[in-house]
Amino acid sequence: MDSTVIEKIIKEIEGHSAAKHAEHVGTVTAVGDGVVAIDGLSKAVMSEVLEFEETKGKSLERSMEVEGKLWGVILNLEEDGVRAAILGDSARVFEGMTVRSTGSVLSVPSGEELLGRVVSALGEPVDGKGPFKNATMMPVERQASGVIDRKGVSVPLATGIVAIDAMIPIGRGQRELIIGDRATGKTTVAVDTIINQLNEPEEKRPVCVYVAIGQKESKTARIVEQLRATGALAYTIVVDAPASAPAALQYLAPFSGVAIAEYFMDKGRDVLIIYDDLSKQAVAYRQLSLLLRRPPGREAYPGDIFYLHSRLLERACRLSEEKGGGSITALPIIETQDGDVSGYIPTNVISITDGQIFLVADLFNKGVRPAIDVGISVSRVGSAAQTKAMKGVAGGIKLELAQFRDLEAFMQFSQDLDKATSDRIASGQRMVELLKQKNGAPFPLEKQVAMLFAAGAKFFAEVPIRNVRETAAAFAQYMDDNHADAMRDIKDSGVISDNAKKTLAGAMEEFRLAHKELFTEAK
Amino acid sequence: MEQAYAEALWRVIENGMEPEKAIASLKNSLERSNRSSLLPKIARAFAHLAARQARKNTMTLSIAQKKDVTRALKEAERILAERGIRETDLCESIDETLIGGWRLEGRGLLVDQSWKKSLLSMYNAATK
Repeated sequence: MDSTVIEKIIKEIEGHSAAKHAEHVGTVTAVGDGVVAIDGLSKAVMSEVLEFEETKGKSLERSMEVEGKLWGVILNLEEDGVRAAILGDSARVFEGMTVRSTGSVLSVPSGEELLGRVVSALGEPVDGKGPFKNATMMPVERQASGVIDRKGVSVPLATGIVAIDAMIPIGRGQRELIIGDRATGKTTVAVDTIINQLNEPEEKRPVCVYVAIGQKESKTARIVEQLRATGALAYTIVVDAPASAPAALQYLAPFSGVAIAEYFMDKGRDVLIIYDDLSKQAVAYRQLSLLLRRPPGREAYPGDIFYLHSRLLERACRLSEEKGGGSITALPIIETQDGDVSGYIPTNVISITDGQIFLVADLFNKGVRPAIDVGISVSRVGSAAQTKAMKGVAGGIKLELAQFRDLEAFMQFSQDLDKATSDRIASGQRMVELLKQKNGAPFPLEKQVAMLFAAGAKFFAEVPIRNVRETAAAFAQYMDDNHADAMRDIKDSGVISDNAKKTLAGAMEEFRLAHKELFTEAK
Repeated sequence: MEQAYAEALWRVIENGMEPEKAIASLKNSLERSNRSSLLPKIARAFAHLAARQARKNTMTLSIAQKKDVTRALKEAERILAERGIRETDLCESIDETLIGGWRLEGRGLLVDQSWKKSLLSMYNAATK
């Protein structure tokens, strides 16, 4: 045996005292589908953690072979006992088993050492990089900060996606829903937002928490790899409750994620948390509630399904300076069925959040990516956080696009259009092209401002539609390469000074001369 | 359904009705409502209920070795007295897996003074 282990054992024997304290215990009376009915535990409290005693009746040798402790969490308090969800392999639980009450509510580890790691819904590392040594335990269920402890949203959280930062801006401490059918780019918007935080200076860069609920493990692995490849994993924590995990863990994962995020918020830091997605959490909670024999309501969801999401999302806020000034910005994701946003869970979460980004399958299939329907997407508090530079250049885009959408339908039937209408259509088409963006390629604020400034000055009017995206990206890069001072000025001050405007106007002319090929139709 | 019948049966017997009479009346009632097929399920639910009630009132004292019975009983009775538990059916059993010491369990309480528990906690602290 290793000498260090022997030393440890000697130390343990020396310090051992057989205290005769009594523990509160119960007995398993029924078990099935990850839920267990327990008799006794009269002093138990909601969300209390239970420990299943697997060593009873087993020899010491066999007891030593037991793989880790098996935990459960109380979800129902009943007259003669409790019902709990098993947080692990339910095949290890059997009728007659003794269950110990631990006296503590469920908590997960959090801290700096979690950055760059992938953890389970219980905060246990699942990336094979070893256990956490100095983590702080944070309660999974905690009351959201009160109104006195909060302050208004006023600092922007840049997503790097032009369509969002220009028209549906998000502020730090806001809750902005990303909603759409399957495969419309919801996760891409969220992941791009995480990647874009690389453009933020390190001291202002938010910690990112990505909570994968009921996702395929291959998808989560791909996201982790993308984050690693871009360098974004260094400031990101991934909480993974895959589709193969028990319903209890899928239900708990968002709460674990926000508990981890609260550690950083309490330290005065900004956090961005993504719940991907809450529809799956609602389904897991419905499954658990039905197994717990709670009365079903609409679509068989339990009566407290609204409370499930509201208590989770209320924990996202911006704290006052007295409380450290930290914030949690939440981007929950909801999947709709066939574009139906009037479903039970979508309407619940729409009403809880401070705005929503609608992603539409039609636009996605037309090649408009991100497929954001700006007409019905809204940010209720984000405009207060938008920088003056962005406000200045993005003011009329939403209206222009709305007018273009109206005319676009009209255009299908009419051949002869007056000049004003055809100009508006041409400008709208170019704007749609400008707002298209590749995934994994977010633009920093100053580049977005430069592109939108150019669009406002009709710079792209002579550019063939198919070249608009390329020209805009090239112009932004040209500005970065040749007018770095002006770009830095926009980035640092958040406004476009008169000097910067002059530089941009001059640069547009220089660029037009230098890249004539982009302004002519390829033959 | 069967749970509700079992609980009703338990209650009427507890309230003083003779078991035979209570069962006969239950049978009649089930036959009248064409639910006789529920009887085996009701019997199982009743057995569960009885086991639950028994667990509520009994305590088990598991002792590792016969020679320790007197000492373990003395300590268990002291613990029960401290907690104000008097009228209880204390069952004794020998459980060699405990290696040494004893373990008192029941009525929602567990006092584990076994060597196995001590050794396991030391093993876990040293290796995990």
